[in-house]
Amino acid sequence: MRIKGIIFLVIIAGLGFAATYFITDEFIEEKIEYQASVINEAKVEIDGFEFDLFSLKVGWDRLQVANPKNTMTNTFETGRTEFNVDFWPLLWNKVIVENVQMTGFELETERETDGYFEMPVDEEGEEEPGIFAEVTKQVGGEISKNAQMKFTAVKDDINVDSLMAMVDLQSIDKMDSLKNGLTDNYSKWDSTINNNTIISDVNKMRTTLQALNVNEMKDPKKAIEALKDIQGMVKKADSLKKSVVNLKENFTSDLTASRNSLESIPSWVREDIDRASGIAKLPEINAQSIGTALFGSNLLGDFNRYMGYLGTAREYGARLKGPEDEEEEIERFAGKNYEFSDKYDWPAFWVKKIELSGVTKNDIDLRGLVTDVSSDQNKTGKPLLIEMGGADANNTSLNINAEINYLEEKPRESVKVTYAGFPLKNSRISPSELIPYELNSGTGELSLGVDVIGKRFDSEIKYLASNISFDFNSAGKPKNQIESLIRTAISSADDINATALVDNTTGPLRVRVRSNIDDMFLNTLKSTISREVENAKRKIRNEVESRVNAKKREVEQLVKQKEAQLRAEYDKFEKKVNDQLQIVEEKKKELEKKKKELEDSIKNKAVDTIRDKIGF
Amino acid sequence: MLILIKYIAKLLKALSSEDSPWQIAGGFVLGMIIGLTPVFSLHNLIIVVLILIIKVNIGMAILSFLVFSGFAYIADPAFHNFGTWMLTNPDLQSTWTSMYESEWWAMTRFYNTVVIGSFVSSLLLSIPVFPAVLVFVNQYRTHIHAKVQKWKIVKAFKGTKVYSIYQTYTRVRG
Repeated sequence: MRIKGIIFLVIIAGLGFAATYFITDEFIEEKIEYQASVINEAKVEIDGFEFDLFSLKVGWDRLQVANPKNTMTNTFETGRTEFNVDFWPLLWNKVIVENVQMTGFELETERETDGYFEMPVDEEGEEEPGIFAEVTKQVGGEISKNAQMKFTAVKDDINVDSLMAMVDLQSIDKMDSLKNGLTDNYSKWDSTINNNTIISDVNKMRTTLQALNVNEMKDPKKAIEALKDIQGMVKKADSLKKSVVNLKENFTSDLTASRNSLESIPSWVREDIDRASGIAKLPEINAQSIGTALFGSNLLGDFNRYMGYLGTAREYGARLKGPEDEEEEIERFAGKNYEFSDKYDWPAFWVKKIELSGVTKNDIDLRGLVTDVSSDQNKTGKPLLIEMGGADANNTSLNINAEINYLEEKPRESVKVTYAGFPLKNSRISPSELIPYELNSGTGELSLGVDVIGKRFDSEIKYLASNISFDFNSAGKPKNQIESLIRTAISSADDINATALVDNTTGPLRVRVRSNIDDMFLNTLKSTISREVENAKRKIRNEVESRVNAKKREVEQLVKQKEAQLRAEYDKFEKKVNDQLQIVEEKKKELEKKKKELEDSIKNKAVDTIRDKIGF
Repeated sequence: MLILIKYIAKLLKALSSEDSPWQIAGGFVLGMIIGLTPVFSLHNLIIVVLILIIKVNIGMAILSFLVFSGFAYIADPAFHNFGTWMLTNPDLQSTWTSMYESEWWAMTRFYNTVVIGSFVSSLLLSIPVFPAVLVFVNQYRTHIHAKVQKWKIVKAFKGTKVYSIYQTYTRVRG
């Protein structure tokens, strides 16, 4: 045995031990913070980080993950968190965590400092908006549209001139553009009909044929040669005929398309009328628009908030995925790894269980489990599940259940959130001017269900207000008949429920909001403001139509006039071509007749000569 | 050039050193295994520990490692083929599977074609190489060493400044 060698090994082992002992947690903390910030695209800060290499235990006192879209807030933060990393997978560069104990979990917290993080140049990338972002954008548009709806301030004596000054009548510009397009198109056809080579080709052909004097042809050989030339010309004539037919088809279909383009005009005018009605804040008096006006902004606002959380979860999920889906390349000298079982087929990252606890902004003590957060669900064979719930001292509860499943052919994400038992006293049931009253009592329940399978999106958000009573006294006496009718109607309602449906299961995204008091409001509004709304709308319609009709007539006149002119030109052209081709045809027949005559004469002469020879 | 001279000198020094022939042969064979197989493998860590603990000639192990590393670069495709044959051999499947199931064995990365191919090849090569080196060292010491020392080129080499620098360097290093 070599004593020096043993001492050397002992020294090396000692240095290794000392290195792990003296390498400060701050050093590792700094590295993790940097890498996590790169992934998050905003600061990730860890306070009180601890790492024990021998037990592979990791912990921190506080973790803040800044929101890249608003760096003065955190997307979420946690309090004391502890977990152990499995040893063996680390040797395969895989991070597997059995159980994370996370306390003090909070969403959307304020930051003391700016969480902006300067991204390394090579890490910056463009992000495509996901389905949640697209849905949120469209639903946001629906909310702002509904916010403009006013039911009670409808007047039928609106000043249409001042309204029109605010409306940009787009149909006039569109008609101008259409007119220019049509004019160009008609000019093109004018030029095609008058400057094409068909007429000159046919004229040339006719001149050549007319130069042939059939009656003077005595030599059959010459007649046959002439006939050959004629047959070539006939082929050319057939080709010219085809060109004329094609030209006619194109001409007719193009004129039809030009005429059909006028059909867009009424819809452009209707859009202008709708826009003007919107500026005049004239509502649609139907159950759907009333439901949307009453509860749309609340329900869809909540909907968009939850969609924002889902979008964030999906974004972080996507960032956790590494490049492990890339196929393993067999390098020449790296050899090939044979896998004899799936024992080491771990994903690059897998947290099997997170025991999570925290407090919501509404002081609900939330606890629950998040299981199987992984970078590749196909390797874990398990979907990500979230089951959380909790209640505050007043029994207001929040329950969240989610499944993010990428195991099937199409990725499936389903989320159910129920927020129940929240007091409604001193709050308004709707931001709409139709129900401006606070509640004396009542409890609310909000539930959201979202299912996303591939690009198919189906969601429902329900709102239920139970045991409600309105505080009409604070609002004073009814100011008008509508208010009086509404008060009478809603005072009898103990429960109000509203449902918003957002889906694209049958085509483009649809947003529908209905409630159990829509019909009640519909009847009230129909009996009061419906006539005013209709009168005001009629005035606007008449004004818009009077302003755009001149342009409309101008375009229609252009189409009518130009179409008639072009058709006449084309008919003339077609007749000319056909006349010339008729001459060609006649000349052909004449020559064929002459050819036959000459052939017969030769044949007869030959027969007479033979008879003379044999004396028959 | 200096490195080449250094290692030739090291070889000659090792051959004529006080180390026994089996120590030189042992160093040569262990260095050969490290050289032929992928360096960062678990078995190589064990071999390095062995080299440090048992009294084999370290210089010869380093020399052998350098020589066979170059050779491995050319031989890797052959090791890959040999490893593929072993890992796909139906008779050995149960052995590989049970080894793969054990984390300790799995750490050796014997499931990799080049690792297993080169490791088994180097072990097989050790069987003739070890006695061959033993014989060579004995023969060298008995018959060749004295003659080599008399070669003009060796004398000339020993008279060069490079050699004196090298001698000084080795004395300083101990």
